[in-house]
Amino acid sequence: MSRADTIGIAGAGRFGTALGSVLARAGRRVVVWSRDTAVVDAIQTQRTCPRLPIATLPPPLEATADPRRLAGEARLVVLAVTSADVRDRAHEIGQFLDGSHIVVHAVGALAAPSNERVSEVIEQGLPTLKLGVIAGPALPGDLAAGQFSSMVVASAFDEVVAETRRLINAPPALRVYGSKDLAGVELASALSGAYTVALGLCDGLGMGPGPRAVLITRAIAEASRLGIASGAESRTFAGLAGLGNLLVRASERSADYVLGRRLSEGVVTADTGRTEGARAALAGVELANKLRVRVPVLAGLAAVLAGRAEPRDAAQLIGDSVADVE
Amino acid sequence: MSEEDKQAELRGLVRHYGQDVVGNFDPRVYKFATGVGPSLMGVLFSPMSSLRDGVAALRNLDHRIIADGEIEIARGCAERGTLIVTPTHSSNMDSPAIGYGLMRAGLPPTTYGAGKNLFSNPFISFFMRNLGAYRVDRRLKFELYKDVLKEYSTVLLEHGYHSLFFPGGTRCRSNVVENHLKLGLLGTTVTAYKNLVREGMPHKRLYIVPVTINYRVVLEAETLIDDYLAETGKSRYIITDDEFSRVGRIVEFFRKILAHEGSVVVRFGRPLDPFGNTITDDGESLDRAGRVVDPASFVRGADGEVTDDDQRDAEYTRALGRRLVEVFPRLTVLHSTHLLARVLYDELARRTGTRDIYHLLRVAPASCAVGVADAIAAIDRLRARLRDTPAWGSEHPAYTSQSSAAKVDDAVRGLGTYHTRPAVLRQDDALRIEDVKLLYYYQNRTAHIPVAGGDGAR
Repeated sequence: MSRADTIGIAGAGRFGTALGSVLARAGRRVVVWSRDTAVVDAIQTQRTCPRLPIATLPPPLEATADPRRLAGEARLVVLAVTSADVRDRAHEIGQFLDGSHIVVHAVGALAAPSNERVSEVIEQGLPTLKLGVIAGPALPGDLAAGQFSSMVVASAFDEVVAETRRLINAPPALRVYGSKDLAGVELASALSGAYTVALGLCDGLGMGPGPRAVLITRAIAEASRLGIASGAESRTFAGLAGLGNLLVRASERSADYVLGRRLSEGVVTADTGRTEGARAALAGVELANKLRVRVPVLAGLAAVLAGRAEPRDAAQLIGDSVADVE
Repeated sequence: MSEEDKQAELRGLVRHYGQDVVGNFDPRVYKFATGVGPSLMGVLFSPMSSLRDGVAALRNLDHRIIADGEIEIARGCAERGTLIVTPTHSSNMDSPAIGYGLMRAGLPPTTYGAGKNLFSNPFISFFMRNLGAYRVDRRLKFELYKDVLKEYSTVLLEHGYHSLFFPGGTRCRSNVVENHLKLGLLGTTVTAYKNLVREGMPHKRLYIVPVTINYRVVLEAETLIDDYLAETGKSRYIITDDEFSRVGRIVEFFRKILAHEGSVVVRFGRPLDPFGNTITDDGESLDRAGRVVDPASFVRGADGEVTDDDQRDAEYTRALGRRLVEVFPRLTVLHSTHLLARVLYDELARRTGTRDIYHLLRVAPASCAVGVADAIAAIDRLRARLRDTPAWGSEHPAYTSQSSAAKVDDAVRGLGTYHTRPAVLRQDDALRIEDVKLLYYYQNRTAHIPVAGGDGAR
């Protein structure tokens, strides 16, 4: 298969491996790059990845520890690493990419430690301008098991959206939709982590389905307001990257959700337990203050995270504040 | 009408608009304009009482209009490839100012598109026509005319003619350092380079040279700021009777330039490639991480083939525009007029609790006097902040050691005597703000500099 038809995946973590599995099972040629040679060996020899053992990795998928090979064999590269690593990994593979490459990241959080949008960070480490984001409620376990999943790819470049959809859309296991709202998808995806913490808190406090539904609805409304003020489109926040991500993350499998539950029990102090969602909440409040947008849910969550409010008081304050402004 | 007739009609229209647009470059006129021209114009516009004084002043013309910045690198780029000079745009005097600046910098002359209204003066039209200017009729909005213009510009660049675009479009009404670029014909840069790559000439590089033109006083300031505040500007109509159309005002403008050293500073920045990448001293493109990158790769597909994608190219041009917007503040030169206008505006804002110009325009004259000592102290603070933050621009290079008191005196002369109504006057130990609109216009050049604590309402 040609370079144009090969998908590069930078990172053999749970999501990268699951995505590779779906694509290889659909007959696509995939090159996975990992810095961990043990992982590369396991994929090449045992056709399995220790980070996601349930995923089958048929031969169209190959692994390499050489970023030069990733860049040479694939024009489209999916950057599937953690928010803490994304800056360094982009810089590392950037040495071997050029202006013709397409890079789409799959980081559903703000980049650490600066809390910038990931595309803003990786553009400093990559030579290509053709950047995008892929996000949505596609859990690694579901992808590996061949469950029905959907994601959205967003970029300012039509070519990035079209090529990503051409290569990664693999129905029925994975359907990929397109958007031009890069900032919106990144922000919606990151903020859904923050609201997942809030949902965990809500569930931990034993609130019923009514308050839970109100919280979700209000969270999407305030994320939309923040998004519009940031130049994003409102509807993005009610889509796969926003509402879709929030609903799928609200389970014990999510570190953000678990953090929320622990907060409700008073286990976590201001100095411990920072997750990507917690960081997004604090960054979201900062952004909202700058843009003069009222965000009662994020502000209440931030107060709990900072130890300035008791969880139950914060829930009451959020409810009152929302009622005042909406 | 048959298909053949339609084609013939279309060809006729293209030919008509092409002939309307096309310019010419006559080396003899260029030699005259760059040699005898400035002296002759200088004598005509001399403010001095005698011819001898006028000639003496002209010998110092080089001191009146200063060209500085990364000139050596731009010269190297001109030898290696084609320059696209992209200045900020404040005044109709920008064309002669940048022309003179290019000459002073030892850079080649450029072609440029000039508004058709500027060709109404036969004297100026002759020079513009024969110095590479082509005509742009901004009233014509239909696609065919735009395509003719784009094609003309693309072909010029492909053939290696150095070009000049004002990426902001029309003159900036508010005098802020431009932060919203219309880009316009700048997009032809990517198209021209793509065509060169396709024709097997990727080594024929195109270099975008960011430039700021920094005036101590701006010829059309009163009209521009009136237009801005009335919100009738923004290209919705073309000003045809501003100060530029009044010979007396042009003469007055040149008198002020000749009477003051360094009235205009043309500052050249480090060139960029068509994709907004900066370059090495040798003209090689560097990515954001500082690694050499092949610019041809930006227009190639997966297998190295050159691909056409108008949306991609438009996005590249927007990226280039964002880089220019990032670079312009750093290249800004702040004259005494800007510094004084800023500190007075800050004081006005502090007293009234607002920076909103419409509110400030209603402020009573009694509240518009500021002590000279206070203004000097505020300028001291502003200069210190400027020195600490080069990204905001810099002071005039010839006056960095000038005292702030001298800056105040100089600024009052500039703001108080050139325009039809003074912006600021000195009365004993106080500075009286006479025209808030003009003050706002000049302080806007510093609008990208945040308000410091205690220096005015935010």
